[in-house]
Amino acid sequence: MPTDLARLIADKLPVPPNPSRLLARLAERYADRITGQFSVPAREGRYAELPPDLHPDLRRALLARGIQRLYSHQAEAWASVQRGQHTVVVTPTASGKTLCYTLPVVQAAMQSRAKALYLFPTKALAQDQVSELLELNRAGNLGIRACTFDGDTPGDARQAVRLHGDIVVSNPDMLHQGMLPHHTKWAQFFENLRYVVIDEIHSYRGVFGSHLANVLRRLARICAFYGSSPVFILCSATIGNPREHAENLLGQPVHAITESGAPSGEKHVLLWNPPVVNHDLGLRASARSQVTRVARAAIRARLKTLVFAPSRLMVEVLTKYLKDVFDHDPRKPARIHAYRGGYLPTERRRTEQLMRAGSIDGLVSTSALELGVDIGALDVVLLQGYPGSIAATWQRFGRAGRRQQASIGVLVASSQPLDQYIVRHPEFFRAAPPEQARIAPDQPLILLDHIRCAAFELPFVDGDGFGPVQPEAYLQVLAESDVLHREGQRWEWIADAYPANAVNLRAVADGNFVVVDRSEGRQRIIAEVDYSSAALTLYEGAIHMVQSLPYQVEKLDWDGRKAYVTRTRADYYTDAIDYTKLKVLERFDGVRAGQGNAYLGEVHVVRRVAGYKKIRYYTHENIGYGPVTLPDQELHTTALWWQLPQEALDVAFASRQDALDGFLGAAAVLHTVASVRVMAEARDLMKSVGSGDASAFVERDPHGRGRWRAGEDAAAGDAERFTPTVYLYDNYPGGVGLSDPLFRVQAELLREAQQLIAACACRAGCPACVGPVLAADEDSSNTPKSQAARVLALLAQA
Amino acid sequence: MSALQEKLRRLQRQAGAAGVKPASAEMAAPMTGEPATDAAAQPAAAPLQSHNAARPGVQAELDRLRRLLDLRPASALPRQRDVLPLRGEAIAPGLYYVEHSVDDPGRNALLPPRWPEAEAVARERFLCFDTETTGLAGGSGTRAFMIGAADWYRGRLRVRQLYLTAMGGESAMLQHFVHWLAPDTVLVSYNGRSYDAPLLATRYRLARLANPLAGKSHVDLLHPVRRVYRGRWENCRLATIERQVLKIVREDDLPGSQAPAAWRAYLREGASTDLMRVLEHNRQDVVTLARLLEHMDQAATPSAWLGS
Repeated sequence: MPTDLARLIADKLPVPPNPSRLLARLAERYADRITGQFSVPAREGRYAELPPDLHPDLRRALLARGIQRLYSHQAEAWASVQRGQHTVVVTPTASGKTLCYTLPVVQAAMQSRAKALYLFPTKALAQDQVSELLELNRAGNLGIRACTFDGDTPGDARQAVRLHGDIVVSNPDMLHQGMLPHHTKWAQFFENLRYVVIDEIHSYRGVFGSHLANVLRRLARICAFYGSSPVFILCSATIGNPREHAENLLGQPVHAITESGAPSGEKHVLLWNPPVVNHDLGLRASARSQVTRVARAAIRARLKTLVFAPSRLMVEVLTKYLKDVFDHDPRKPARIHAYRGGYLPTERRRTEQLMRAGSIDGLVSTSALELGVDIGALDVVLLQGYPGSIAATWQRFGRAGRRQQASIGVLVASSQPLDQYIVRHPEFFRAAPPEQARIAPDQPLILLDHIRCAAFELPFVDGDGFGPVQPEAYLQVLAESDVLHREGQRWEWIADAYPANAVNLRAVADGNFVVVDRSEGRQRIIAEVDYSSAALTLYEGAIHMVQSLPYQVEKLDWDGRKAYVTRTRADYYTDAIDYTKLKVLERFDGVRAGQGNAYLGEVHVVRRVAGYKKIRYYTHENIGYGPVTLPDQELHTTALWWQLPQEALDVAFASRQDALDGFLGAAAVLHTVASVRVMAEARDLMKSVGSGDASAFVERDPHGRGRWRAGEDAAAGDAERFTPTVYLYDNYPGGVGLSDPLFRVQAELLREAQQLIAACACRAGCPACVGPVLAADEDSSNTPKSQAARVLALLAQA
Repeated sequence: MSALQEKLRRLQRQAGAAGVKPASAEMAAPMTGEPATDAAAQPAAAPLQSHNAARPGVQAELDRLRRLLDLRPASALPRQRDVLPLRGEAIAPGLYYVEHSVDDPGRNALLPPRWPEAEAVARERFLCFDTETTGLAGGSGTRAFMIGAADWYRGRLRVRQLYLTAMGGESAMLQHFVHWLAPDTVLVSYNGRSYDAPLLATRYRLARLANPLAGKSHVDLLHPVRRVYRGRWENCRLATIERQVLKIVREDDLPGSQAPAAWRAYLREGASTDLMRVLEHNRQDVVTLARLLEHMDQAATPSAWLGS
């Protein structure tokens, strides 16, 4: 019968996936975990006509590709660039920012064979861009030659790119190592360089951004040599200070376009706090368990889901958990994939393609997908842990969204204080402006690196500036190191070296580690690990996971930068135990802070990985320890610190143990408020508690109590003067400009720290304020929380 | 070892100064044989304080940098004992010129390997050249401090060499070299197509001078030599070929790889002994090139090249 048939067919037809239904179900079932829920309304598009001065062929190409009008911000960008202004366009993901720079660049190439240089932070983005340009070129038969130039460009193709490329698409590293040091080979290119396009400038902050600013100073010297002065077109995801950031990168005035004309669908945001599992200690269920739960629900509802995990390790753990549910049939194509740095490029390209094609249901990624890699439209984005900034949170949420349909973003807090602060203050998250991107291009070590590279490219002559910097002292140091030779007014390069190869734009120390699989007598490179995380992930005995397959590190060749692994069936993963020790080298500045003092200065930091824990899957019980012997990681950086004299502490605290616990708690709270204040990513700013003379430092023992640990050059603190000290330091050699502004607002930091403790609902202390506490402390009158508050009060009182 | 010390060590390694203390700021420039008019040969680095007198902030910045890098204050090196008089004549500030020639009657025309035309080329059109450079790193920071060339001139094999005694002489050297080239000159080199010629092109570009090598015919003997002799001896380096094929034996030869260090030692300390050995090495190289060209003359021994 027809009606039955119709019902039968209807039953077989899939119900269209609907994010709103999932949202309603989550809100109903987990009301107690959702600390904040709000939505960003859908937005209508705003449009403008194609510019009248557009080249007719280019207009035809656009029409052929179905583009009949522009978004308002694209038209604005056109007008601004035609006026010859440096321009920055700030728009959300998928708002057509590419056309903002493609139109002027292609037009100039067609009209006067003007050249353009595109810089993307990753090779993947560069390749996306070239295929897009080629399509436009084909659509209009424009005769534009666009090529990538990166480490993968074969030697015989490079000459052609240099001579004939109209648009050269590359990355900052390649400009730094491949183009500028060989600028004479690129002479024609630089002579005719009209536009420089830098996309994703929000990703150039901190150390990487400081390096880029210096690479651009070098580019400016080279362009001046060849008599060109290109117009810069920059693009950024939403940040708090796009114009300022762009101007800091370029060292020149920039016009900012901040209103997007692109339409967008409605977006729902949930802030999610895992349930408390131990009320006494304020312990919560893990963020991982909550993310897995929501991800399962979303994927079951056939919503395309992207999970951002906080580390490569967690990517592997989550992928395994989701695969255990959705990919148990090995004959079917995998529904769950992992994506992170360290996978080989071809593997990542394949995952991107599968994602675009819609054949992946769940993707687990690190921040690697935060940038504009094209992976198509998604319904749900889950964040395991606060990414460290409001801006990064929105960038990740921006991955979800289709025009017609609502999308969901869920931020699941970890027990980290910063996370807890965010989910407990949903109004703060909702109203907070996105962070400001900061760079410190005049950081001495970074400057030294780039002045060295610049001197290789073109000799400095006395009186030459480097950006706004007067480089004399740097040139002198380089001359003393036999790198430069001063003759008359000129500083000439004389070393037999190619300095750009020794400078890595993205990391403190260079030299990635490769992971070599030796299972079954093979020798196969299966992954790469950057230098900074090698000590924490590649120690001998570590379980290293690649696409959720566990490998065990058998041998680590530290100098050769290789880790040899074999496949294993371990049912546990490993987590490194590391600690830090710190020594003051020089005080730059100091002020009274209550009964104590606050200082700014230079410190020497030693970090050591002492061992590792084995943690069993699912139960997460600790099933053993292993020792690690690796070279210490040393760091010479800037810090600010607070200390109180022995007399004040003896009066305020019953015992020195109490005072130490107070300092540990105060350090935790100060680190939280300072991280929020400078919008630092957690790893950029570090904390430590030690003695005032750095003869010893404090760590938590297994019971959560502070304990002195003697340094190498002195006996433990008790016999010495007792001056516990809280340090906050920049996690980069030479400092990267965080400590200095923090020192200037140190009084406010103390006040905010006091407020945070006062406002925390816990009784004795919890991971969200002073750090985890023991059950035993619950009943005592001297709680860690009150001790931390006392330390802060002693430092803050007028 | 801290990242900073690592960095410094790397700097010093790059400078080829492993185990060598940083040169003194007070160190004077090479003195030997310098013409008094040599303006480019100012002291290598003027004493710091006087140099920075105009900007007092520089000293503080320098102190901070030194501390950050863990740089010890520079100590004076003893003045080098190995000082030979420089050969040749100073023809411009920082530039010396040397010329030798030997009687060399012989074939009037040669047909180089892989020459596109059937006609042999008049012997006087060839210019066998070789450069000595400050390193192998490549890029715009590597320069030639010596250019040598051999050619047949009036029945003699003539060797002309230019070398720098100061960085400032480079432009004069590049301009002088232009005069050695005629419109129909045929360049002869050993690996010069991929090394010497691009390097000189870079130097001419940096000096904002036209590159005289552009568009010239260029016979790079490395490739035909490889074709013929590959696998016969341990390698196809010029020194090997010259010993095995041409039976030329050098005495007290300074290996080419030590040329950059010899040049830096001269600049910093005035040590000229090794620089003079480089000069001799370079002279022999271009003579060998001329002999090798004759050896590979296809007009004389066509059978050797059949099938190549």
